[in-house]
Amino acid sequence: MKLSAKTVAIVIGCAVFIGLPLLFYGLGDVPRRSLLKEVLSVLTLLAFSLMLGQFYLARSNEVVLELFKPPEIQKVHKFIAYGAVIIILLHPALIVLPRFFEAGIKPWDAFVTMVTTFDSAGVLLGLVGWALLLVVLLTSMFRMRLIKRFGIKYRTWRYVHGGLTVTFVVIGIWHSIDLGRHTDVAMAIYMITLAAIGTLMLGQLYWADMSKTVKKPLPKGEKS
Amino acid sequence: MTINSINGCIGCEECVKSCPCDVIRLDKETGKAVILYPADCQICHLCRMYCPVDAIEIRPEKSIPVVVSWG
Amino acid sequence: MTGLHDAPVPSRREFLALSGGALGLSSLGLGAAWAQNKVELDPAAITNTDHATDVLVIGGGMAGLFAAVKAHDAGASTMMISKGRLGSSGLTPFAKGFFVYDPKTETESIDAFVDTVSRSALGTNNPVYTRQLAEHSLDRAAELKDWGFFDQNLANRSFMKPVTDRDIPLIERVVVTHLIKEDGRIAGAAGFRLDGEETVTIRAKTVILCTGAGGFKPSGFPVCDLTHDGSIMAYQIGAKITGKEWNDGHSGRSVNPADCYNGWGDMFDRVPSTSGVEVHHDLGVDLNYQAYMKGNPVAGGPQVATDDPVAGGPVTPEEFVRSFPAREGGPRDEAGGGPGGPPPGGRPGGPPADGEGGAPGGPPMRGYAMGGASAGMAIHKSEGLVPIDDRCASNIPGLYAAGDALGSHMAGGIYTQIGSSLAGSAVQGAIAGEAAAEFAAGIKAPSIPDTKLAEVKEEILAPLKREAGYGPAWVTQTLQGVMIPNFVLYIKKEPMMRAALAYIEELRDHHMPMLRAANMHELRLVFETRNMILSAEMKLRASLMRTESRCSHYRLDYPEMDTENWQAWINIFKDAEGRMQLVKQPFAAWPRQT
Ligand SMILES: Cc1cc2nc3c(=O)[nH]c(=O)nc-3n(C[C@H](O)[C@H](O)[C@H](O)COP(=O)(O)OP(=O)(O)OC[C@H]3O[C@@H](n4cnc5c(N)ncnc54)[C@H](O)[C@@H]3O)c2cc1C
Ligand code: SF4
Ligand code: SF4
Repeated sequence: MKLSAKTVAIVIGCAVFIGLPLLFYGLGDVPRRSLLKEVLSVLTLLAFSLMLGQFYLARSNEVVLELFKPPEIQKVHKFIAYGAVIIILLHPALIVLPRFFEAGIKPWDAFVTMVTTFDSAGVLLGLVGWALLLVVLLTSMFRMRLIKRFGIKYRTWRYVHGGLTVTFVVIGIWHSIDLGRHTDVAMAIYMITLAAIGTLMLGQLYWADMSKTVKKPLPKGEKS
Repeated sequence: MTINSINGCIGCEECVKSCPCDVIRLDKETGKAVILYPADCQICHLCRMYCPVDAIEIRPEKSIPVVVSWG
Repeated sequence: MTGLHDAPVPSRREFLALSGGALGLSSLGLGAAWAQNKVELDPAAITNTDHATDVLVIGGGMAGLFAAVKAHDAGASTMMISKGRLGSSGLTPFAKGFFVYDPKTETESIDAFVDTVSRSALGTNNPVYTRQLAEHSLDRAAELKDWGFFDQNLANRSFMKPVTDRDIPLIERVVVTHLIKEDGRIAGAAGFRLDGEETVTIRAKTVILCTGAGGFKPSGFPVCDLTHDGSIMAYQIGAKITGKEWNDGHSGRSVNPADCYNGWGDMFDRVPSTSGVEVHHDLGVDLNYQAYMKGNPVAGGPQVATDDPVAGGPVTPEEFVRSFPAREGGPRDEAGGGPGGPPPGGRPGGPPADGEGGAPGGPPMRGYAMGGASAGMAIHKSEGLVPIDDRCASNIPGLYAAGDALGSHMAGGIYTQIGSSLAGSAVQGAIAGEAAAEFAAGIKAPSIPDTKLAEVKEEILAPLKREAGYGPAWVTQTLQGVMIPNFVLYIKKEPMMRAALAYIEELRDHHMPMLRAANMHELRLVFETRNMILSAEMKLRASLMRTESRCSHYRLDYPEMDTENWQAWINIFKDAEGRMQLVKQPFAAWPRQT
């Protein structure tokens, strides 16, 4: 009984965070390119949807908390998150990678043009988001040391982590709606919905936590 | 037909500058490349090759009837 | 007027393409011949920017690059202006073979090389320019190598290097429409910006036209941005134009004939490389003749035109006849012959250089061969301004031309040395740049009266101010229908050319003055249409005048070479009454200066 509930949860998780984005990718009417480019696209899309999935692999998700043990959740959370973060951090480079294998502007030149197109809000958001994500990555990797060094509570660390990731996700979705090759209306709604629900859940948890201590405003993720 | 679609444009204007036939322009409002004069496209793929994010798709058919010598 | 693609049995794809085309026609408003002009901007609000320089280089291809660099290095203040991007407009972006005469590796002397070219060109080449090509090609290639030209398939970055290093001002996306002459010499040029509501005037001591060649916006050859603008502007102010009767005979493929990129195999993807001496007699109109006499091969059927050639037609000198069967002349040919030239290994009609594609002319799915890919263009370097000396000067003091814009007859009226077109543009650009800088050093800056500038601006903007008029795209299509069919300018005969000339004169007198433009893009099309009309007239008149067949000029009614009367080029100029005049200029002589 318990086992099958776990399986169901895993299947649902995969369906929502892998199946749906693949479906929207498949249904989108963007012209297909070479296999390599399509693989890279899908990889980036999945990295982002799985990243959104992290909101649901957290203490805020009571269903998951009930089904799995916290260390289990944490392990999966960490494993998926590091993988996804690395792909997303790399995705600007992945975009120009195929130019190594075909005619056209050289990869490095393409990269420079891309990251220096400051007229574009999408590019600026991307740069800010990228930096934020790097901060998320580094703070997560060294959280124990940070906690020790600055003498903060683990709970505070969690707020920081939650706050940073919510900000990142807002920026990331915005960036992707503006620039994403595969972010059509369906994909955008999908991402916004997931992010909104995730943020709400997180907000609820923090709210509950904090109503005992200090008052802090709700992250505004659901608006974008 | 000719230059067909642009997806994932970052608005860098490379394609606008690189098109010999002035087919593409930057939309002032959205800041993105738009295919304004497809009838003048000579299907040379320069725009696609200069685009840093490979956003441009080009199809082999011309969008207007073509005149040839024989054939 | 229709000369629309009339395939014997249109395939499903062609049919789709055609019906898609009809859709495009209606949605793009091309169908409108005469219509109200729905102007999208306020012509009265268009401003002007004025520049001044010693040497003005017009055009951003191989010739323009070297003209600007060498003029600058010779000490002149130099400025570049081009309607497209540096290294990404005109024909330069598509050429991959760069001819180099390297004395270390060549077995033949330069004298012998020039003689071979002259034999293949049947005397139509100007040996002074042929020699120059061989003498300077190695140096130009070395400079290009330094700038990174041979490192990638796109030329913009390597071309920008010497220009930014030297801080040479460069204005892109300006369409030059007028050359300005004052006191009998060049004084500047004028045009308009594609991106802004602005006209541009440049006062210059000397102008070098590096505006490339041109065509009738044909299908299958990437020349649709060029319409002989330089030649026509120069003609308007009294320069002499030559070489209009020669024909570039590139053919395309019946399936998606306008698809240049795929039609050329992997050519556009290739990184440029150099090649050595290899003289042919390539890409005349032989295949056009076969198709004219026997009909075109049909898809899947026997290759009528090439398997069992009809006797007669354009003649290749014995020495240059090659052993493989008659060429099918697909665009692939240029990879191995044609103006271009290899990357080594390619042979017209032979197996493709690097295994891609299969049969000559392209894989079978591209359909059978079809003519007119480069309609309206002559052999590179054969048409353009008449040089009056070996330094690219025209008959207008201070006006120079180089590369495809100069009628240097470097290769003659047929493609001889492979890969020499690109190298020729580099060599001539450099020579013209130095000559222009020298000329500019000795003279005072010209003064152009304000009234003159106002007049020019008025002329430029006139199509935007017309309340109604002919759409340039429609006039262009009409012209294409008249000029592109095989039986007009490829397989030439007097009655047909006279008939076509009547059409063209009608377009010239009645349509040209009434072209409308709703925006800057259409304004460009208007001037290009004007240039194509005048170019068409030149081509017809020169072809009518040359009553013989030689190299790429083939007259069905005069199939023989006439060495008694036609050891001469044809120079075209505008007389005092504004009429087009044609005169002979003996081969290997410079024009008489009046
Ligand atoms: C597909 C293809 C393959 C080829 N392969 C080879 C090859 O392998 N080897 C070889 O030697 N040759 C080859 N050629 C020929 C070669 O490309 C040309 O002869 C050469 O590049 C011409 O250089 P250019 O600078 O004289 O003119 P272009 O490169 O044509 O430059 C003309 C310039 O003038 C500008 N211009 C034109 N009109 C105006 C105006 N009104 N106002 C402002 N600017 C204007 C254009 O924007 C452009 O920048 C090939 C050509 C083609 C099309
Ligand atoms: S394919 Fe060539 S002509 Fe067409 S839009 Fe791109 S650059 Fe312009
Ligand atoms: S080059 Fe690509 S990214 Fe840049 S404006 Fe054009 S389509 Fe957009």
